[in-house]
Amino acid sequence: MVPEGVVALLEILLFPGFLFLIALAFFYEWIDRKLLAKLQNRYGPLYTGPSGLLQPFADFIKLLSKEDITPKAADKLMFSCAPLLLLSFPLLALFLVPVNGLTALISFEGDLVFLMFLFTLIAVTIFIAGWSSVNRFSTVGGVRAAFQMLGYEIPMTLAMVGPTIGARTLSISQIVGWQSHNATWFIWLQPIGFVIFVICLLAELEFIPFDAPEAETEIVAGWSTEYSGRKLALIRLGKDVELVLAASLITSLFLGGPSSPLPIPAIVVFLLKTTLAVVLLTILRALFARFRIDQMIVVAWKYLIPIAILQMVLIQLGLGR
Amino acid sequence: MMTHRTIRIPFGPQHPALKEPENFMFEIEGEYVVGVKPRIGYVHRGIEKAIEGRTFIQNLYLVERICGICSHAHTTCYTQAIEEVLGAKIPPRAKFIRTIIAELERIHSHYLWIGWAAHEIGFETLFMYLWRDREIVMDLLELISGSRVHYAMNTIGGVRRDLPPEMVERVRKGLDVLEDRTKYYKKIVMTEPTISKRTAGIGKLKPRDALALCAVGPTLRASGIKRDVRADDPYIAYDEIPFNVITHNGCDVMSRLFVRCDETFESISIIRYAMDHLPKGKIRIKVPRKIPEGEAVSRVEAPRGELIHYVKTNGTTKPERYKVRSPTLGNIPSLCKMLVGGYIADIPIVIAGIDPCFSCTDR
Repeated sequence: MVPEGVVALLEILLFPGFLFLIALAFFYEWIDRKLLAKLQNRYGPLYTGPSGLLQPFADFIKLLSKEDITPKAADKLMFSCAPLLLLSFPLLALFLVPVNGLTALISFEGDLVFLMFLFTLIAVTIFIAGWSSVNRFSTVGGVRAAFQMLGYEIPMTLAMVGPTIGARTLSISQIVGWQSHNATWFIWLQPIGFVIFVICLLAELEFIPFDAPEAETEIVAGWSTEYSGRKLALIRLGKDVELVLAASLITSLFLGGPSSPLPIPAIVVFLLKTTLAVVLLTILRALFARFRIDQMIVVAWKYLIPIAILQMVLIQLGLGR
Repeated sequence: MMTHRTIRIPFGPQHPALKEPENFMFEIEGEYVVGVKPRIGYVHRGIEKAIEGRTFIQNLYLVERICGICSHAHTTCYTQAIEEVLGAKIPPRAKFIRTIIAELERIHSHYLWIGWAAHEIGFETLFMYLWRDREIVMDLLELISGSRVHYAMNTIGGVRRDLPPEMVERVRKGLDVLEDRTKYYKKIVMTEPTISKRTAGIGKLKPRDALALCAVGPTLRASGIKRDVRADDPYIAYDEIPFNVITHNGCDVMSRLFVRCDETFESISIIRYAMDHLPKGKIRIKVPRKIPEGEAVSRVEAPRGELIHYVKTNGTTKPERYKVRSPTLGNIPSLCKMLVGGYIADIPIVIAGIDPCFSCTDR
């Protein structure tokens, strides 16, 4: 019999911990890139591995080996810390989401609130990354990221609160458990909340139409303009992990998590549902032009927040739980 | 006007929104542009001086290389000027072939521009689609001339290659596909809400300002003014081919999109008409190597607007003076007018709106 401590350690390090999540991050970046390319009538990654499957990993290795430049004027400490934080926050948040089975690696009452907090921290770190670069483009990009956060934060929180009211718990694992127990998904109960959540995730991930913080034709690479080498590699990996986080949150809160009525292993169900969520996010990203930052804020405050509140009212009236 | 509240932001010469190097110094107040100073000349290559040192035949190829997109417009303008000095009448078949190439080039240029505009407003998918379909027209041009960009079709006294009937059939097939695609893109441009959000009411240019600042081409026609060299001062075969001058009254970037979409349809119908009524006969006449003394101004409606060439000859094999006024130069004053009062985030799309070609401008 393997001691319990070793199992726990393996769970954190290998499966469904760091190694698995990072491999998944590369895999979803590939799905995103490949599908986006298909939608745009391009080939996408092609040569590294079968159908370019290993391309995201190869990009990561390449960036690690590149020269790492820190601008003279930059705030060195902040500038170096930001990429680390940008990777560790979404990775930490992923530990709160059930992957293999109905409970997450870390699960406690109120972990959803902690996760919302982590989401905000990611946006704040992006602002710090842009600000500490001391570059016109980075600063504008960072400020836009912060602005964008003011737009999507509230509707996203409201959309996430919907399932907690339905399941009467603030724990993600228990929300998944509730859906499994009642054999229903919150997407059927709260479709408006689901739509709002997906739109806000597009903004969180800085996907088109909400990619103003890194609008290439306006401000080069936005807040990440000055980053290169290892730091850029970490930022990009962090973005991929964030994509996994977004997909697994859609899965956990609205698609019933890794549970299914059929006798399929939980991990397969999880992979299927998250892939579906990534496909959804990618398709949406291919469909639009970019909103100007002021238009984005207007959309968020004029439409998203009132509709999110409407969803809350509906839940309070007894619909959708 | 400088006040203590404005900050100056340079835009270019190196900037991802600019495909060619040029500098604009912006006065910014908050999020708004209150002043702009363009500084041109970053890609000056001394082409006008180089032309003086080469023979008229060599210059054909040099003039073609002023621009990578409207290369045919430049050579048409050049040959027209020389032919005017010579008093040469080119065969009607050559005129029609020149027209067909000119209109194919217009389609190619407008497709490129619409794709680029989509890229500027972050609509990558539309950009990819348009540039894919642009390959159709590029392939047609390659079929006719043997080259995708520098067609080298024009020569003094006519054109260098004929357009045989089997080629006409293939061009016709390509045009059918292009017409379908253009209809589809026009629908997208007219109905997609994120496009209208980024283009409607952006970069306003009132008709009065457009006239006062000498705007040309689609920029002028998007301000509702019906002016087109092809109709006003017909050259090559345009006096024999019926077509409409497209105008829109929006005066903004969206109208410029519409004008270019509709002009693509017009170009397709012009090419069809020209191929149906292609006269028989020679495609070129022989001209002397020495051009007699004289001078001429020639005007052509390039895809971007009115293009003017001036030539002064002195009876030798080389021109004495040559001058090129590109459409972008004519549009820069009105561009400055459009930018003032707009958002910083709209700078790229407004600059893109005139379809600037700085290499033409700087020569």
